[in-house]
Amino acid sequence: MRKNKDGRLHGAVYPSFFKNALKVISLILIFFIFVLPIFRLILMSFTGDDGITLAFYSEVLFSERTWNVLVNTTIIVILSTLISSVLGVTFSWLIAYTDIRWKNLFQLLILLPFIIPSYIISLAWVDFFGGQGTIVNMFEQIGMEISGWNLYSMSGIIVVMGISHAPLVYLFTVNVLRRIPREMELAARASGAGRLASFRKILLPMALPGIASGTFIAFLGSLDNFGIPAFLGIPGNITVLSTYIYQQVIGFGTSSFNNAAVLSVILGVMAVVGLLIQWLFLRKSKRIQTTKLDMEPRYHLGKKKLPVEILLIVFFLFISIFPLLSMIASSFLNAVGLSYSPENLTLDNFEFVLTSSSSYAAIMNSIKFAGVTALLGILFGTIIAYIRVRKGTRTIRFVETAVTIPYALPGTVLALAMIFTWINPIPGVDWNPGIYGSAMIMYIAYFTRFLLLQVRGSITAFQQVDIEIEEAAQVNGARPVAKWRKILMPLILPGVLSGTVLVFLTALTELTVSALLYSSTSQTIGVSILSFQQSGYSLLANAFSTLIIVAIIGVYFLLFVIQYIIRKKVASDAHKNK
Amino acid sequence: MPTKINDLNKFFGDFQALKDINLTTEEGEFIAILGPSGCGKTTLLRLLAGFTSPTDGEIYMDDVLVGNNKNSVPPEKRNLNMVFQSFALWPHMNVGDHIKFALQHHRHMKRLSGAALDERIDEVLSIVGLEAFKNRLPGDLSGGQKQRVSLARAIAPKPKLLLMDEPLSNLDAELRIEMRREIQNIHNITEASIIYVTHDQGEALAMADRIIVMNEGRIEQIGRPEEIYSNPATPFVATFVGKANLFKGEWKDDGFQPENTDLIWHNSNISEDFMKAGIYPLRPEQISLAKSEGGMLKGTVMTKQFQGKEYHYSVDVNGQTVIVHLPLRENYEIGEIVSIEPNPN
Repeated sequence: MRKNKDGRLHGAVYPSFFKNALKVISLILIFFIFVLPIFRLILMSFTGDDGITLAFYSEVLFSERTWNVLVNTTIIVILSTLISSVLGVTFSWLIAYTDIRWKNLFQLLILLPFIIPSYIISLAWVDFFGGQGTIVNMFEQIGMEISGWNLYSMSGIIVVMGISHAPLVYLFTVNVLRRIPREMELAARASGAGRLASFRKILLPMALPGIASGTFIAFLGSLDNFGIPAFLGIPGNITVLSTYIYQQVIGFGTSSFNNAAVLSVILGVMAVVGLLIQWLFLRKSKRIQTTKLDMEPRYHLGKKKLPVEILLIVFFLFISIFPLLSMIASSFLNAVGLSYSPENLTLDNFEFVLTSSSSYAAIMNSIKFAGVTALLGILFGTIIAYIRVRKGTRTIRFVETAVTIPYALPGTVLALAMIFTWINPIPGVDWNPGIYGSAMIMYIAYFTRFLLLQVRGSITAFQQVDIEIEEAAQVNGARPVAKWRKILMPLILPGVLSGTVLVFLTALTELTVSALLYSSTSQTIGVSILSFQQSGYSLLANAFSTLIIVAIIGVYFLLFVIQYIIRKKVASDAHKNK
Repeated sequence: MPTKINDLNKFFGDFQALKDINLTTEEGEFIAILGPSGCGKTTLLRLLAGFTSPTDGEIYMDDVLVGNNKNSVPPEKRNLNMVFQSFALWPHMNVGDHIKFALQHHRHMKRLSGAALDERIDEVLSIVGLEAFKNRLPGDLSGGQKQRVSLARAIAPKPKLLLMDEPLSNLDAELRIEMRREIQNIHNITEASIIYVTHDQGEALAMADRIIVMNEGRIEQIGRPEEIYSNPATPFVATFVGKANLFKGEWKDDGFQPENTDLIWHNSNISEDFMKAGIYPLRPEQISLAKSEGGMLKGTVMTKQFQGKEYHYSVDVNGQTVIVHLPLRENYEIGEIVSIEPNPN
């Protein structure tokens, strides 16, 4: 290390002009892609042919139909969120605190509706519980006439939505429960509180932050959800905000885009109100300090253990397993409602789905969109996560917030914001780059919507690698390339890949955003299944959904194999020299 | 490696972590940086390593400028290595690979290959007594073994400067004492300069050639362990290193007069700081007690702890808690009124 002629140090790192320029450009791009669309959307709701106007608000707010839609939305969101919370908290308590057996299996069953798209759950429920469904048929076989459950109804939407979002509450609550030190409750008991009092006064207040966040996410999910009201509500003529916006956009009326913008703002306001309520609720709560997860059971159910386990199994059989099996089985039938005798069985439905040009194109499109989104996600998501974990500056926090916006927004709102932005990217300049209407807008929309999932996955991965582990590589002379290749990559890869798989599968089965943005050349799997179902080809929809389930299982299987190999490789490298 | 620090300042936002640090270390010297948490000692170490750069001032290593407010040579290009508080072992690499990584990447190491590389790995492992653990993963090692791996990795490429960031604080008490000998041993073998950060005055006193006592971002005193212990420069050093009791009073021409007494305590070897502050420091073993009748400075025995070769008393003297260590033969009971005076020895 000697000084150069110009007095600079050999090998020193210079804060360069280039680096700063890169930073500024990235920030502008991030703002433009992730944040600006929301403002464009809000602006659009106030913009008529003659400039700023409240005409669209008065048109929307004075229409009786709007109020009808708002009432539907409110009822569905509140009741389904209630179901999700009760289920989610009960599951969390059972898994975190009791000594029931087969917890891994139960956890998988709890999370199933989170892994499988909600529109597929809707199809499965119709096929199992519905008017021409499996249950009705089974009773018919033994000569009993019952009328099935009409799922194209408020009750159908509420229950399916409640089931679909219960995993969100569970995911937010279960580890909060595990983090509450068991001594807290023991201390209450030792101080003379009964079991009930210590639950009510100690455990519940401490678990509340988790329960409330989970409930809020379920609430947002219900507001946002498009699949269930599209598959169950549209045939039953029940409209909620998300499907109403969709109908406005595809209706292409004179002021439909503006009306849709107004409705989106209303939807956004409802979400913000929910956030506010959550904030008021949690304002006084204290965060728990420990980070250790206590996995040991705290309550021994004793004699009640077996009945509880049986109850759980029956419950999951009826809400997940039977409906899905029923849907899978019926996709082998010639026509709806037939019995499962050999002459009624066929592979035609699958053949049609895989060979008809439109659905084949949809599969290819979805794979392309999801694949590119996942690859871009690995790159950008991991970079953002790294800077976020290691530097945590105000700039990167802004980036994180920006990336969160498109995911937190209802999909219909995001799609609409995308349309307004990319029809005319530079306000005031009459230039339409032709992105809306092409496949390009799907890439952009997917990338912005799902980048957060990769960022979250990668953040978790980096948080498990202490900074000293990296510094140890540096003081041993490792250049950045060697540090990443030999130290960081092997350690973060399993975690990063989990995020990537989530991005890929969520994008592959995406419906909401695609339904508003697709064009003839960019139809996706979700849109394809929706159009089969809406035009009455329910068996084709079932067959397509069956293929998706197989694909989901396949991809997860692949993930576990890869993670297993990575970990195994670590172990075998270690034993190589023995 | 001789290291020189000139007028070093470090800010984190508005917070000043280091204030006007000046320091010169000699070739092969074992320096301990001692201070309470938040005193800036770890920041100083990270500046020496090159993980952060100074807000102001310069750092020289081997008379070459490695860091100032404009430029900082990155850690991988400095001729040093580091032992971390958390051990910082790489969970996916076995013990032998840790050493190999250091040997293959460190810039100031002559590249070894084949038999020579394996030989050096074995040699380093034998220094820390881990020959049998070469193929183990970090997850299969005990705390003490992990720290030995961390030490082995640090010394393997023969760096001229070893930085150690509280390397023993994650170990239990017994093991800490054992590892002190291990580290001294490594210092003897490698002849590298060591800069060792700790908040444990026992570690610093036991191992260092010189101790730097830091508080609130400043250097309070630099000196040999004996000097620091016997002749603290500031009240902070007296309490932090020697656990001294500080008595308030007034310095006169012939000695110190404790508050509310007409006693005079003589001391010729006291630093300016104490004179100015009107303070007289006495370590627990520098105090003797007597049955109360005669003395002017009285107190009540509050607690008494048996410690094997001595008793530890806490004595309430006009609201001040004074800690006193006395041999077993001088026995007082809780509640007893005693008088206090400096031990003539």
